Amino acid sequence: MNKFWSWVFLIAAGALVLLFFSNDFGLIDIQKTAIVAAIGIDRSEEAEGRWSVTAQIAVPDANANKASNVSIPSAETVGAGIAEVNRKTGWYPTLVHCRLILLGEDVAEGDVFRVLGYFLRSEFVEDSCLVAVCEGRAQEMLGASSPVGELTTMAIAKVLSSEAQKTGLVCVTNLRDFAKGYYSAAKSGYLPFLARLPEAESGGPSEGGGGSADGGQTGGSASGGSGQSGSGGNADVFDASKTMLFYEGKRAAVLEAAETLAFNLAETSTDFAFGEVVAEENGEPVTFSLKMKISQKSRALALEGGVPICSFRIRANAQIADADTAAGLDEAAKKTIVPGSVLRAAEREFEEQLTAILKKCADSGCDLFGLKQALYRNFPREYDAYEKTLLSSARAAYDIRFSTLH
Amino acid sequence: MDKLKLRQICFLFAAVLPVAKLIIYPSTLSYYAKNDLLLSAGLNFLAEGIVIALVMWLSSRTDRTLFDLLRYTFGEVAAKTLYVLLALFLLFSAALPVLEQKIFVMQVLYENVPSLLSFTPFFAVCCFACVKGLKTIGRIADISLPVFALAFTALILLALPHADFGALQPAGAAGVRGIFTGSLFGLPWFTECLFPLLFLGHFRYEKGGMWKVLAAFAAGAGAVLLYLAVFYGIFEELSILSQYPLAHIAKYSTIYTTLGRADFLFIFSIALVCIFYLCIPVQLSVHCFRKAFPHLAPVFPAAGANLLLLVLAIVFNYSFNAVQTFMMRYAFPVFLLFCYVLPLLSLLLRKKPKAGRGTPEQNAKAARKKTARRRAARIARLLRRQERREHE
Amino acid sequence: MDKSAKKLGTKLPDNVKLLKDILPAEDVLVYTFRTADGKSCAAVYTDGITDKESLGELAAKPLTLAKAPKSREEAKKLLYFPEMKDADDAESAASEILAGNPALLIDGIAGAVVLGTKKIAVRAVTEPQTAITVKGPREGFIEDIKTNMGLVRRRIKSPALRLDTQKVGKYSKTVVSVVYLEGITDARIVEEIKERIAAVEIDGVPDSSYIAQFLAKKPYSLFKQVGTTEKPDVFCAKLLEGRAGVLVDGSPIALTLPYMLSEDFQSAQDYFVSPYRATITRLLRLAAVCIALFLPAFYVAAQLFKLQLLPFALLMTISGGIQGIPLSPSLELFFLLVVLEILIEASVRMPKYVALALSVIGALVLGDTAVKAGLVSSPAIIIVALSGIAAYTVPDLTGTLSVVRIAFVIVAGSIGTYGILLLTALILYYLLSSDGYGTPLLAPFSPLIRRDLKDSLLKTDIYSLRSRPAVFRGKNKTRLKVRNRRKDNG
Repeated sequence: MNKFWSWVFLIAAGALVLLFFSNDFGLIDIQKTAIVAAIGIDRSEEAEGRWSVTAQIAVPDANANKASNVSIPSAETVGAGIAEVNRKTGWYPTLVHCRLILLGEDVAEGDVFRVLGYFLRSEFVEDSCLVAVCEGRAQEMLGASSPVGELTTMAIAKVLSSEAQKTGLVCVTNLRDFAKGYYSAAKSGYLPFLARLPEAESGGPSEGGGGSADGGQTGGSASGGSGQSGSGGNADVFDASKTMLFYEGKRAAVLEAAETLAFNLAETSTDFAFGEVVAEENGEPVTFSLKMKISQKSRALALEGGVPICSFRIRANAQIADADTAAGLDEAAKKTIVPGSVLRAAEREFEEQLTAILKKCADSGCDLFGLKQALYRNFPREYDAYEKTLLSSARAAYDIRFSTLH
Repeated sequence: MDKLKLRQICFLFAAVLPVAKLIIYPSTLSYYAKNDLLLSAGLNFLAEGIVIALVMWLSSRTDRTLFDLLRYTFGEVAAKTLYVLLALFLLFSAALPVLEQKIFVMQVLYENVPSLLSFTPFFAVCCFACVKGLKTIGRIADISLPVFALAFTALILLALPHADFGALQPAGAAGVRGIFTGSLFGLPWFTECLFPLLFLGHFRYEKGGMWKVLAAFAAGAGAVLLYLAVFYGIFEELSILSQYPLAHIAKYSTIYTTLGRADFLFIFSIALVCIFYLCIPVQLSVHCFRKAFPHLAPVFPAAGANLLLLVLAIVFNYSFNAVQTFMMRYAFPVFLLFCYVLPLLSLLLRKKPKAGRGTPEQNAKAARKKTARRRAARIARLLRRQERREHE
Repeated sequence: MDKSAKKLGTKLPDNVKLLKDILPAEDVLVYTFRTADGKSCAAVYTDGITDKESLGELAAKPLTLAKAPKSREEAKKLLYFPEMKDADDAESAASEILAGNPALLIDGIAGAVVLGTKKIAVRAVTEPQTAITVKGPREGFIEDIKTNMGLVRRRIKSPALRLDTQKVGKYSKTVVSVVYLEGITDARIVEEIKERIAAVEIDGVPDSSYIAQFLAKKPYSLFKQVGTTEKPDVFCAKLLEGRAGVLVDGSPIALTLPYMLSEDFQSAQDYFVSPYRATITRLLRLAAVCIALFLPAFYVAAQLFKLQLLPFALLMTISGGIQGIPLSPSLELFFLLVVLEILIEASVRMPKYVALALSVIGALVLGDTAVKAGLVSSPAIIIVALSGIAAYTVPDLTGTLSVVRIAFVIVAGSIGTYGILLLTALILYYLLSSDGYGTPLLAPFSPLIRRDLKDSLLKTDIYSLRSRPAVFRGKNKTRLKVRNRRKDNG
């Protein structure tokens, strides 16, 4: 019997070694792999009802990473566009490290899940990737150059990072959270609205975001050197302080920067932010920049007398970071103590912004605060009765207190 | 070669058997039971727990194996026949987990879907495990417990910050029909209650053994229920799309850190425990075959069983959905019969051999006892007759 | 009639001739001398392994100054040797002569007196190269079994210490000694070891590794089945735990049984430093073994099958480093591992004066220049170097790790990430089912023996080690009692 097992072992080992050395296992070698860092999707300019797909491929270099943008100007579906990247460049695109899905502004006019569905279906695209809408075309946005010389994707990802979320300037979301909202009863969601501000001057020829790749740029246009396009040698700065609201996958409204900040302070994981408030001091309006630390926040839905009440309870500590008036020595020394008038002004400002958001939600149908979900979870019996009119009939109740440090 | 410890059975229930429910079961269950998946799974666990408790109670009453009990009650031939049926059922019940594992491995551990050749070595490993006997099941449980505990805890801790447990509300929203459908169609994943029956006679019952095993089972069940809660809390409406949550629930904490997908270390650890889990029903099947045909060398039933599973894997390579639907919707009575009814019926088996139904040694001993009893009775009768005569 | 079976008679020339016929080798010499009254005497000895000075001083001199003894007993009274034996037949006399103990023949007296004057050239007791410690004893076994026995006796001064010797080897007649503590070691283990050794009929035993293979339950296994040590303190500690030991003449490596895999992760120094330090060191060794085994395989699997294993920044660095390398990652790593094994093998065998030059070649040519030439990539060199170094944290397992590591790389390169898991499972199943002398190889982890975990990967303080390991089936379980222990409250 030992001889039998010896033969079995030898045959198995031989087969394994043959497989190993032949290396013909349908493997995709890393050297032939295009590591896609970001995907940009726009409506095709060449044909109606088709899509333009831009893949930003990270090109490893001995000194720094470069990026190569490969655009497929017209594809039936996003999946077809990505497969086209393989055909045209000879590289096999892998999306496992895709960190960003950027949708052009025109895509948001229709149901964005016509294009996002590909990423949800694919097992090889992480649903933790960031999703954003950009001003103009995604192809141009991905062609922008970063002032710190890194990949455009990295620069945008920094703007949309969880650190940025914590300071309340940006509403960050990933594919999973956006899809959850879309498929929920509320059919609502939000995406950061990315804009490009051609402000910063870079020190030299920028390597990030626009370096031309080595080979494989036939077919669709590979936009390279976008440091040259548009900004005349200057790098671009990205701003995501606005937020686009969605209902049933379509663009419903846009929140301004102040509204975005208010939403973040009330609802998301933001617990520390800077904001501006105008208060009267000695009869003159003065703008104060406040540092705000949220210590407590909650939102609840209740039904009182048949009326849905959405109550916000927020407790925060504030400190004056700056003011547009010359402060006396005393006032500057007591910077931790915020005058009551300023605190009250901050509370009013907060309430106004939240009210504005609620109005936009009611007008657009976007259930940004998840009221329908809260109704379904906490009042399942009343859900059917209130579902359709909830956003328009809900009244807001605010219990917002700003305190000063003593 | 076939001896286990009670501690190892406890570890099996706590750490090895729960892994079967971490792969495709959550998304399948959420399809039927929606946010009431905890209730649905809880029903299954309750039923399993009752069966396990009763089987452990049986083990406290006898140290014979199931084969012996069947032989005492129905005879050798019937016992062998039942064991062959059990063996076939165990292979049948292993088919779905094997296909599940295959797809999980292909999708999660590779980025370009490889050919079936990447999975086939599993059957060689399983064959090797089957040759080694029941002892390896117990020892693998000793190794698996710390691996599973560490990996599972790490994954849950990484996943918890992203879970919204409010998604489980409101309780009962899926309705009684949804909950019971989820429980009924989930039966292919709840076959472990059969295992203690096959371990009967292969371990020494200790004082409080039933409670220890139940506690371990409860720990395993608790882990699965926690996992289901976290899963639904993370994915909510997307639950039915999230087919391999094991590979995804922890990534939201790690993916953008410097170390990247460090959670893969824990996923691989649990995948290793999955391999051990998959081998268990096949090992038990081979054990049953060998009980039925004791003169067969272990390598033959081991090779045969694994070859059969390999053939099934090849034939159904592209038909997982069909197999799953068949197992859930049409084959659930088979699971009910073997995993729930059979252990309950085993409580009624004779624990001592009837005349002629034990082993030859037992039969000879029983015959000698019977002869001695008869002789003693005859002598007693003769003595009484003599006394009566003397009295007269 | 076989000459070796012939008895030694009273006639000296006949006896000498008989012995020289059996031992015709030129290094077997005969020293003849006469007693005071003219009786002839002869000492037959082997040149090179006999202490000629003692022979002359303690045997020849007293006999030449005295009258011829009439019997062997009388002769022994004249001699000054502490070790003397009688040899009645030529065979036993010849085997003693070959062992270095000369046979003294006296004309007129039947038989021979064997004198214990063995003097074999042995090296000094030094620190073994494979078990260097910073703290603790530095002695190591040498090739002479008597010295080794002495080193053991020095540490265990108990009548319970037994050294049962046998001779193994038809031509080598190597002395093999089974060492155990009566009342502590399981008698069944000792019996089995003795039976296995006695059952061996072999020409010669040059080293203890031969005996180890006979004692192993699966001699063809890649994994060790028998424990080894070169240090007497470690050997004695293992005896005191309940193991049995085997000393082999001619080998500095002592064997211990039963063997568990976890003992290779322990070092003597662990018992001489703080338990926390010892625990960290043991865990470090385990981590190093995992790195040695898995790092190359995962590196290959990540590049070929699962890029997601690597963080994005690291992936870019590696990807940049491997641009233009002609070999695939799996082949590259395989060849580098083979080169590593060649380097290790060469460094063991090369003369010291060449070592410097060859290490320069190894470092510069094979490392730096190969990378600059684009034949191999820097990440691969780093991976292989790290893996190679990590394997040496557990020196006793290095050979096994080298082979298993290459197997992992082949599996990773052909089957992928799942292949690594399958091979791990296969190895675990193999180890779990390997029992030797009633002790599972993976004890105390599988089967789990909680009491024995205190001195496995973890090392607790000495007060916790009250009992011997439960996995050994000896009767005497208690090894530590502390009377009147006062716990320090300060």
